[in-house]
Amino acid sequence: METKSYTKSYDLPKNTWDEMFNDSETVREEYKTVMNYLDLESTEELNKKEELSKALFMSQGITFTVYNSGEGIEKIFPFDIIPRIITADEWSFIEKGIKQRVTALNLFLKDVYSDQFIIKDGIVPIDVIYSCPHFLREMVNVKVPHDIYIHIAGIDLIRDNDGTYYILEDNVRTPSGVSYMLENREITKRLFPDLLPQCKVRSVIEYPTVLYNNLLSLAPHDVADPTIVLLSPGSFNSAYFEHTTLARLMGIELVEGPDLIVEDHKVYMKTTAGLQQVNVIYRRVDDDYLDPLAFNPTSLLGVAGLMNAYRKGNVTIVNAVGNGVADDKAVYVYVPDMIKYYLNEEPLLKNVPTYQLGNASERAYVFENISRMVVKQTNGSGGYGMLMGHASTEEEIEAYKLEILKDPRQFIAQPTISLSSSPCYMQGKLQPRRVDFRPFALCGPNGIDIIPGGLTRVALKEGSLVVNSSQGGGSKDTWVLSK
Amino acid sequence: MLSRVAESLYWLSRYIERTDGMLRMLKINYASSQDAIAEFSWSPVMHLFCDRNDERLEAMEFNSRTVLQYMVIDKENPNSILNIITQVRENARSVQDHITKDVWQCLNEYYHTVKDPKLNAMLKKDDPISVLDILIKQGMLFYGITEITMARNEGSSFMRIGKYLERSIQSVNILDIKFGSVDHNPDLLTNTNYWKHLLFSIGGYELYLKTYRQGFEAENVLDQVVLNNEFPRSVIYCINQLFKYFERLKGDGHITAGNLAFLIGRLQSKVKYSSIKGLKKGDLHLYLAEIKSELYGIGNAFNQTCFNIY
Repeated sequence: METKSYTKSYDLPKNTWDEMFNDSETVREEYKTVMNYLDLESTEELNKKEELSKALFMSQGITFTVYNSGEGIEKIFPFDIIPRIITADEWSFIEKGIKQRVTALNLFLKDVYSDQFIIKDGIVPIDVIYSCPHFLREMVNVKVPHDIYIHIAGIDLIRDNDGTYYILEDNVRTPSGVSYMLENREITKRLFPDLLPQCKVRSVIEYPTVLYNNLLSLAPHDVADPTIVLLSPGSFNSAYFEHTTLARLMGIELVEGPDLIVEDHKVYMKTTAGLQQVNVIYRRVDDDYLDPLAFNPTSLLGVAGLMNAYRKGNVTIVNAVGNGVADDKAVYVYVPDMIKYYLNEEPLLKNVPTYQLGNASERAYVFENISRMVVKQTNGSGGYGMLMGHASTEEEIEAYKLEILKDPRQFIAQPTISLSSSPCYMQGKLQPRRVDFRPFALCGPNGIDIIPGGLTRVALKEGSLVVNSSQGGGSKDTWVLSK
Repeated sequence: MLSRVAESLYWLSRYIERTDGMLRMLKINYASSQDAIAEFSWSPVMHLFCDRNDERLEAMEFNSRTVLQYMVIDKENPNSILNIITQVRENARSVQDHITKDVWQCLNEYYHTVKDPKLNAMLKKDDPISVLDILIKQGMLFYGITEITMARNEGSSFMRIGKYLERSIQSVNILDIKFGSVDHNPDLLTNTNYWKHLLFSIGGYELYLKTYRQGFEAENVLDQVVLNNEFPRSVIYCINQLFKYFERLKGDGHITAGNLAFLIGRLQSKVKYSSIKGLKKGDLHLYLAEIKSELYGIGNAFNQTCFNIY
């Protein structure tokens, strides 16, 4: 059989860290086994694998629906068959860095919702906190079990052109994507038989068990056999597949807002045999929609009275309510200071340099250099409402500046970081595409566990730096190697 | 179990049972339309499974292809296989944590099979029986996978209740329509093919041959479809199963019985102790209508006692 070198046709991007290639000739040590495997496969074989991956996603119903002229079309989230590999050393560094960061963020949440020492000591300015729409006064002095606010964190990492990892953003509200970490691995097992054990890839299968045990231990302490539910906005939500997967893997009930009812400050679910009390809610509904009596009064996704039950300690909500103040992009700037303040440690994982547009001199600097900047809304997510300076027209920039001036506090800017590239199999050859990485940290009373793996998101458009799935991004299986 | 989940499982199962009945009915009727010398009317089949108020029905009565397309893949027909399976899948999607992954994948694949444009093309010009067989097989897969993988818990009891309720309603409906036609055309009463055809369409032909050895008589057909407890589509068999799974739910404390116990028990006795052989032509319709209305009543009672209590 004719073999083909996929290395030769790879067009290594300039000034960028490539995950697989040292330079245009040599493959990084950790990728050698994979590359040798690929070089033995014809394009027909690899095309077949690509087809198989699509068929597997489709038959498992890992799809979302796009409505076009009244006709629902099923689409799968794009998946690239080439894995992204993280070495044991890299991983142990990432793991330490994330544990440190999440520990500090959790201490920050406890502090900011009680004594506010960090404000009194002048580390974080008071107006940054109180101008944050996700800082919820409803949460002040609410006691949460074991003082854990962040039970599940998805911290986004990127790599600059020298390979250094940076924290792009913290997601400590309802981070999603973990089902793709699990499903991508299942699919890779089918695509590349025997390759995973050959490469000594660490398993991700423990995630649901670790999470379930944490949820169990978070139940109000007087409950012997707690009822745990996963609260989903319902089957029209684009992450619904993830909700059902997690509920199934943990064996907990998947509920929607109308399935729950609050009576006498206790939460119940409506069952065929009557009402049954609920002790722990792993919610995938945003704060704002959680309780129409406390927050958005038009919400049909939440449960009326839930906040009161929560404040009384009759139910545990995971993640805690009000966490948005910790992953606000204006607060992000202060996370390195928090790490020093609370832990007396140097931050292991660096922040991307960030300018706050609420600050006049920083704003002036950003406006001057806007073509080299990415401007984001501090409370935005999903890649919406961003301005990519290098890829925008004069008019777009001017319009965006006006938007900024209306309320500068709500914006931050960061120099455009190129993001590392990773080879994707497209049209019969390997092509570089930009990636980021989101590992998932689980915090319980016994500490923080980070499952060795995560979600690698890929910007599928050539040259694009936006990896969000809502903006045409895809994903890759991520292999963490054991020592 | 959540009321919403129980209701979704119940309907999911009812819908699958309905498509199975429909597909078999279509298959046998299409086959016999190929035997027919005179024009073959689809009217009885359409009355069983379509909305009688749809004005399009009359125009297609004698056109097999049009009827098949209307009943299998028509998006505008809310009772088409396509639309029912879409409902099944949506129900299954919302209870994925209560059905096994295998069951979910099976229903998901069923959906993609019905949606496949190739199937559509085949139904237009190739052999329709092949198409119907493909779909029937998807349903069979569901039954098999459910049998093998699903835990025998509350959820599976609700699924079985949905299945047997739907099946008994179908059997009663088929009898009512078949015997109703006899009123207009008394010759049918002694038409062997007519009764053979009925038995084929509900899969009771072979059992009939073994049970009743004196040829095809309307009375015996009636006896088998209502009272033969060995026949899995008979009314009595379905009601007995319904009773069994209701008792299981009640016994495990999953539901409060309400007047369900009364309704199911009454219907069971009524069917069990009826002597249909003695029934006169006119009374038969009344008898079947009564059973049907009691079956509907049981459906409503489940709705009130289990699914919408709050």
